[in-house]
Amino acid sequence: MNGRIVTIVLLVGTALAGTLLATRIGAVRIPGNHQGYEPAQPIAFSHRLHAGELQVQCLYCHSGAEKSRHAGIPAAGTCMNCHRVVTTAFGAVRAEDDLAKKENRKPNLLVSTELRKLYDALAVSPAGMLPIAGREPVPIAWTKIHNVPDFVYFDHRGHVASGVTCQQCHGPVETMERVRQMETLSMGWCVNCHRQVNQIGVAGKTVYASIDCVTCHY
Amino acid sequence: MGTPAGAGDRMDPVMPKHDEKHYWKSLEERDGAIDPAALPEFLAVPSGADWRTTRRGFLVAAGFGLAGTALSSCSRAPVERAIPFLLQPEAVTPGRASFYASTCAGCSAGCGLIVKSRDGRPIKLEGNPDHPVSRGGLCAVGQASILGLYDSQRLDAPTREGRRTSWDEADRAILSSLAEIRQQRRPVRFLTSTITSPTTRATIDAFLASFADARHVTYDSLSASAVLDAHERTHGARLLPRYRFDRAEVIVGVDADFLGTWISPVEYTAGYRSGRTLGDALARMSFHAQIESRMSLTGAKADLRVVLAPAQYGLLMAHLADRVARLAGANSPFELLAAPPVAPALVDTLAERLWHAREKSLVVCGSNEVGLQVLCNAINHTLGAYGGTIDLDRPSFQQQGSDRQIEELLGDLSKGSVAALLVAGVNPVYELPGGEALAQHLKKVPLVISFSSHLDETSSLARFVCPDRHYLESWADAEPVAGALCVTQPVIGPIGGTRQLIESLAAWSGAPKPAYELLRESWMTRVYPRRLADQPFEAFWDRAVHDGFVEVAANAPAGRTFAAAAASVPAAAPAAAGTLALVLYPKVAMLDGRGALNPWLHELPDPITKTTWDNYACLSPAAASALHVAEGDIVRIEVGGGSGPSSAIELPACLQPGQHDGVVAVALGYGRMGTERFAKVGPRWLEARPTVGDDGRVGKNAAPLASLSDGALRYSGAPVRVVKTGRRRDLAVTQSHHYIAVPAHLAPAGGARRPIVQETTLPAYVKDPAAGSHGHHEAKEDLWPSDHSYPGRRWKMVIDLTACTGCSACVIACQVENNVPVVGRDEVRRHREMHWMRIDRYYADRADGGVDVIQQPMLCQHCENASCETVCPVLATVHSEEGLNQQVYNRCVGTRYCANNCPYKVRRFNWFDYPREDRLQHLVLNPDVVVRSRGVMEKCSMCVQRIQDAKVEAKRQGLPLSDGAVQTACQQSCPAKAITFGDANDPESRVARLLKDPRHFRVLEELNVKPSVGYLTLIRNRAEGEGGGATGHE
Repeated sequence: MNGRIVTIVLLVGTALAGTLLATRIGAVRIPGNHQGYEPAQPIAFSHRLHAGELQVQCLYCHSGAEKSRHAGIPAAGTCMNCHRVVTTAFGAVRAEDDLAKKENRKPNLLVSTELRKLYDALAVSPAGMLPIAGREPVPIAWTKIHNVPDFVYFDHRGHVASGVTCQQCHGPVETMERVRQMETLSMGWCVNCHRQVNQIGVAGKTVYASIDCVTCHY
Repeated sequence: MGTPAGAGDRMDPVMPKHDEKHYWKSLEERDGAIDPAALPEFLAVPSGADWRTTRRGFLVAAGFGLAGTALSSCSRAPVERAIPFLLQPEAVTPGRASFYASTCAGCSAGCGLIVKSRDGRPIKLEGNPDHPVSRGGLCAVGQASILGLYDSQRLDAPTREGRRTSWDEADRAILSSLAEIRQQRRPVRFLTSTITSPTTRATIDAFLASFADARHVTYDSLSASAVLDAHERTHGARLLPRYRFDRAEVIVGVDADFLGTWISPVEYTAGYRSGRTLGDALARMSFHAQIESRMSLTGAKADLRVVLAPAQYGLLMAHLADRVARLAGANSPFELLAAPPVAPALVDTLAERLWHAREKSLVVCGSNEVGLQVLCNAINHTLGAYGGTIDLDRPSFQQQGSDRQIEELLGDLSKGSVAALLVAGVNPVYELPGGEALAQHLKKVPLVISFSSHLDETSSLARFVCPDRHYLESWADAEPVAGALCVTQPVIGPIGGTRQLIESLAAWSGAPKPAYELLRESWMTRVYPRRLADQPFEAFWDRAVHDGFVEVAANAPAGRTFAAAAASVPAAAPAAAGTLALVLYPKVAMLDGRGALNPWLHELPDPITKTTWDNYACLSPAAASALHVAEGDIVRIEVGGGSGPSSAIELPACLQPGQHDGVVAVALGYGRMGTERFAKVGPRWLEARPTVGDDGRVGKNAAPLASLSDGALRYSGAPVRVVKTGRRRDLAVTQSHHYIAVPAHLAPAGGARRPIVQETTLPAYVKDPAAGSHGHHEAKEDLWPSDHSYPGRRWKMVIDLTACTGCSACVIACQVENNVPVVGRDEVRRHREMHWMRIDRYYADRADGGVDVIQQPMLCQHCENASCETVCPVLATVHSEEGLNQQVYNRCVGTRYCANNCPYKVRRFNWFDYPREDRLQHLVLNPDVVVRSRGVMEKCSMCVQRIQDAKVEAKRQGLPLSDGAVQTACQQSCPAKAITFGDANDPESRVARLLKDPRHFRVLEELNVKPSVGYLTLIRNRAEGEGGGATGHE
C-alpha cells in the first residue's frame, strides 16, 4: 500500500519535472553559446529606426565589413555626419516649432537624452557643435554582442564579396530596437552554411566555401 | 621507450658508399658515441620524478577535474567591450594592416624596411624589395629590432646624476654648463658610432661649431677602420669602397665574414647570391675561397676553405700579391718572402683564378691591420677590381670609425683634459678594451651626456642621460652608400618621454625644432639639390618618404687612382709555446652586444655552433684534447701576463670542427649590463634553472681581451693561455636536438637510408643537372589511399641549398610572424625550444682533414601522407584541400603522438604557458595568429594567415591570386632568396618550375610521406672528386 503511494508520488513528480524541463529545453545551451544575448548599450541606439525606418545602409556605418576582417563599430564622427544637424526626434522638433510659433518665440534647441551622450563623448556642445573648453572627449565603450572565441578568425570581407547578406548571420537587425544575437555562431552553424552554399550558391551565384580547418583556425 | 629492440643485430642504417660523404651534426655522432638512429624515441624525464598513481589518487584527481569542469562551465562569458575611434583617421581601418617604408637601424648597414602596422602598432619588419642596398632581405638582427620598441626598460625621461628629471630642467642645466665651457674655450668631444645620416651629421657639426675646441670622434666597436686607413694610403681618401659581390666571379675572403657579420651582410649576401644562380638562362656560379682561422658562416659556404692561424694571413696575402703581380707582368712588390704558410700550389691556384677572372675578381680582408689592408688593395688594384667589383666612385658610408681617433680621445680622457663628452650610439666602457680604466677617467670629465636609451655601462656613469628614441619612433635619414638616400619615418608615437638626438642638439644650439622639420629642412638644402630628375620639392620628398629611399647624385669625387703605398709583410709574432691565438668575433645575432637585450636573439641558435644563451671558448677538437678539455668544461683564458696588463675570463669550452688548432675563438657582445632581466625568462617551475650565469648576466664580456694600440682595435692574434678550471657549465646546444634519423627497424625494406642532404660539384652538375641526386624513390605500394585531389591550389615550397647561407634571418622572421615564445636557457637544454623553423647544420669530413658544412632549413614539410595525421586521436592535425598540414590548436589535447611520429621532428609542444618577461612586449604579438596555450602542439603553418588574407583580398577585388602574392615570413626576409613558395597547380608559378628542376629532391623520400617542401641540391664550385658528395646515380 505504502509502496504503491510512494511509487505514484515519484512517477507524478518525474512526469511533472519532465514536462517542466521539456518546455524549457530550448533554454539549455552548451557553454559558449550566447544565442539571444541582448545587452543594454551605453547609448540606446535603435537599429530599427536607422536601418529599418530610415533605411540607412548597413555598410554606411559598418564600412569595415567590405575591406577588413572586422565590420567595426562606427566612430562617433560617423554619427555626427547626421547628428550635427539632427539633435532629437523629428516629431519633437515639429511640436516645439508649433509651440514656439504659437507662443511667438524662437524655437528652443531640443536634444534627446541619448544623443546628449554622444555629444558628451565628443565633448561638443549641441548648440553650434563647438568643442567645450576644458572637457576631454571620451570614447564610447559599446558592448560586443557577436563574439567568437580568440582562436576563430572570421573574415567579413570574403562574405560580403560573395554576396552573403548581413541578415543571414545577424538576423533582421533592421527590426531590432536593441540588437540581439540571433544565431548560435557555433562551428557547426558555420560549417553547415559553408556546405550548403557549395550546393546551392549565394544569391544565384556559384560560390566555393572551404571547410578546411585553416579557413578559420590558425 | 628506450632503444629499439634488437638494436644489436640491426643493419647499419647509414651505409656510406665509397664515394659518398658521411654527414654528421656533432662530434659525438661522428665518433660513434651516439647513433642518431638508435636515440630513444622519447626523451627521458631529466629528473627523478617517479610518480605512481594510486586508485585513491586517481579518484581524487578525477573528482576535482569533474568539479572544476562543471564549475567553469557555470561562469558567464566575460562582457567584451568594443571601443571605436571618436574620429576615425582616414587611412586607418581597424583590423587592416598598413605598410610603411622605413630604414633599419639595427646596425649601420642601412637596409630598407617595410613596417607592418596593425591598429597603430608596428608588429613586423619586412625587407624592402626595391631597396638599392639590401634588395629585399633583412637579417636576424634587423628582424628582431622591433622588440626593442616595446622594451619597458628603456628610459622614458632624462636623468640627472641618476635621478629622473624633466626635459626643461635637464636642458637648463646642460645649457648653463655648455655656456661655461664655451666661454672658457675648453675642449668638447662628441663620441658616436658610424652615423650614415647626413642630417644627424650636419646637426652635430652645427652644434660643435659654436665651441672653440670641439671634435666629433667616430668609432665602431666592430671596427673596419683599417680598410678606410688603407684606402687613405693607397687612394688618398679615407673611404670604405662598396664591394660588388654581384659582379664578382672569383671571390677570395681573408678573415672577412661578409655573409654573416662584416659591414653589410644583407647587401653582400644578395650580391653573392646573384653571382651564384643556377638553373635559368642567366646561370652563373662564382668561385669563393675563404681563408680563416675559425669556422665562420662565410667559411661554411666557401667552395674552398683554407684554415690558417691569424698571424699567417699577412704572409699568405704577400704571396698572393707576389703571384698576382707576376701574372700581370709587373715586378713583385717583395724582394724576399718566407715560404708560404700553405702549399705553394694552392697560392698558385688562387692567384691564377683571380687573374683569369681579372676585373671580375675580388679579394676582401676582414683584418683590422692596415698593413694587410694595403696589401689587399694592391692585389685588387693589380686585378683591376677597382671600377669593377670595387666601387670607389659611389663609396659606402656604412663604416666610418677611426681607431686612431678613439685612441687619441682615450688618451685625452686619461689626461683629464676634456671638459664635455657627449656619447651617442656607443657604449665605450663596455665595448672597448680598457673599459674599466675609461670608467675611472669619465669621472674626471665635468660634463658627460649620454643619449643612450638604456642604462648601460657608459650611460650609468654619465651626469645626464637624454634618451634618444627608438628608430621606429623617429624621423631620420641615412646614406649607407653614396647616392642612396634612405628615409626613416615614425610608425608609432613615442612610447615614453624620449627625445630624438637631433632635437636635443637643436634645443642646445638655441633653435629647438621637431625632428620632422629639421629633416625636411636638411633635405631641402642638402639632398634636393642632388636630385637626378627635375621635380618640385614636395613631390621629391613625398616620393622619398613613400618609397623609403631616393637615388641622387653621389656627391663623392670620382676617379680616385691607386698610388702604391709601401707594402710590407706584417710581422707575425712567433707564437710562444703553450699559448693559443685569441680570436674575438661577433656572432650573427649578437654582433657587438647590440642584440644583448633581445631575448629572441639570445635564443637564436648560432648558425655554426648551434648554441643559445651563452658565449663560450671555441677550441678545435685537437686543441681541446691536448688541453684535456671536453665540451662544457670551463676554461680560463688569460691574456698578457708578465709585464703587460693582463685580464682573464672564464668560459665553457665548445668544440668546433674546422677551426685552427692554435686558436681559441670567443664571441663578443655578451655579459652586458641589462641582461640581468633574463633571470625571469622562461617558465617558472620547481626544476627551472636560471638563464643567466652566476654573475646574473648572460655570458661574459670578452672585449677586455682585445687591444687598442697604434691606431688599431685588434680582435685577433693575441697570445693567450687556456687553463682548465675543473668546473663545468653545460651549454644549451640545439645541434643534437631533433635528429632526423630513421631507426633501422623502421627503415623501408631493402632500402638503405639516403643522406638527408644532397650535394655535388659544378663540373658534375654541368655534365648532368641531376648529379648528386640519390635517385627518386617510387613507392611500389601505398598504405594511404590517394584521396587528395587538390582541385584548387596546391601550396609547395622549394629551398635552394646552394643559395642558403644559414644566416638564420628566417628563424627570427618566423618567430615574429607566428608569436613563437622564448623558453629560456634551461628549457632549451631540455630540448624544448619552440622555433618552428630550425636550420640543420651538417658537417662532412673531407679527405684533406677539413670539414664541409651544409646548412639545411628544416620546417614542417606538410606531407601528403603525413605520419602525424594518422596518429592523432582527436583529428587535431588534418590535411587541407590545398595541401597544407593543418594544426588545430583548439582541438589539440596534447598527446604528443604526432611529434613522436614526425620523421622530420618539426613539431613543438607547449610544455608551459610561456610568460614574457616584459609585458609591454605583448604589443608585438601578431593579432592574426593565436597565442598557443599550455598543452598544445604547434608547428609551421606555412604562414596560413598570410595565405588566407591574400585569398580573401583577391576575392574582394575580384582578381585571381597572382604568383608571389603570398610570401611566407621566412621567404620574405631571406637575403639570399633561397626560399620559393607558391601554387604548384599553376604551371607558370616559380615554384612549379623549380619542382621540375633536376636538382629538386625531398628529404626522407623513401618513407613515402610525400612532403610538400623540397630542396635543391647544393652545388659546390670545385673540381669533381674534391668532396662534392655523391657523384653517381643509384
